[in-house]
Amino acid sequence: MKKTFLVKRNALLSSTGVSWGLLACAGAIIVLLLRLIAPNIFWHVFTPVFQGADALALKSHLVSSSFGDVAALTVENEQLANENAALISQNQSLTAKADSLSALLDSSQTKKGIASEILAGVVARPPESPYDTLVLAAGAKTGIAIGMEVFAAGGVPIGVVSSVLPDFSRVTLFSAPEKVVQGWIGHNNLPLAIEGNGAGAMSATIARSAGIVEGDTVFAPGPGALAIGTIGRIDSNPTAPEVMLHITSAVNMFSITWVVVRDTGAALLTPLPVATSTLP
Amino acid sequence: MIRGALTLSTFISVVLFPWLFTAVLAIVSAFWEPLVPFGAGIFVDTLYYMPHVQAFPLFTLAGAACTVIAFFVRNRVRASIMRG
Repeated sequence: MKKTFLVKRNALLSSTGVSWGLLACAGAIIVLLLRLIAPNIFWHVFTPVFQGADALALKSHLVSSSFGDVAALTVENEQLANENAALISQNQSLTAKADSLSALLDSSQTKKGIASEILAGVVARPPESPYDTLVLAAGAKTGIAIGMEVFAAGGVPIGVVSSVLPDFSRVTLFSAPEKVVQGWIGHNNLPLAIEGNGAGAMSATIARSAGIVEGDTVFAPGPGALAIGTIGRIDSNPTAPEVMLHITSAVNMFSITWVVVRDTGAALLTPLPVATSTLP
Repeated sequence: MIRGALTLSTFISVVLFPWLFTAVLAIVSAFWEPLVPFGAGIFVDTLYYMPHVQAFPLFTLAGAACTVIAFFVRNRVRASIMRG
């Protein structure tokens, strides 16, 4: 009886050659080796890819928004422009007030050096970056160092620099999983341990008797009181003495395009002594 | 043709779309190319993983698990077809 020879197909080698899956794995491993061996070159190669993706996302958003109600969009645009103008004037008046108050005090006691700021563009951000990290197009050459604090528009602190290359750097956001930031909340400045939950979300627990309500502002330490978000939801169990606060970030992490990097000492894990009798 | 399109679209979606969309594409691709989830997981962690944020490269591990499951299901389906 004549035997018929059948070509077996498997996941690695198809009847026509190497499978797509094997090629994909090989390509991924080559990219991984490039990142491990030459990380700076790796990000130089992939930055245009991310920038192209951002441009494509922006164009698609413009196309999809053009299908909306034009009249409603026009009205909303005018409202937002008016609110923006009001906020600008309020900011200017508050800045002038702060300057006048500083001038009343002794300038020799209050004059302090302002940490230099570094403006950096964002290459990759959540949700493209699933680990709640930002990749910045600025690195050691521009003066960025590990531990510097990162601020979004409006001076909102969002994270700390955790990795630096010559031309790029990575920022771990405060919303990264298991990241804990010490802050405070409410008019009584109650201390709070803010824990990151991933995907831009943060939470904290506080005693029920603290009287925290939705909408209260959450602050993080830094040069002055820096608001990082507001209470969006409170989960309470009648049998538990504590309530869970869900914090909504003050900025939209998914649309950040630029940040300011500044050295504020955020990398210090333990508080330094403020002053003692032995210090001059 | 479909295998190549699914594989390429999975890797392109890593840059363009949220990771959930990439995960769905990788799982769908696993029906034809079981190694795609593993490769996509390696690619995602190559771009975004940082030891400071997570102890383990989660997407590589998840992709490997998905690939193992895909191979297992593929072998079982093939065996059931041969028995039938």
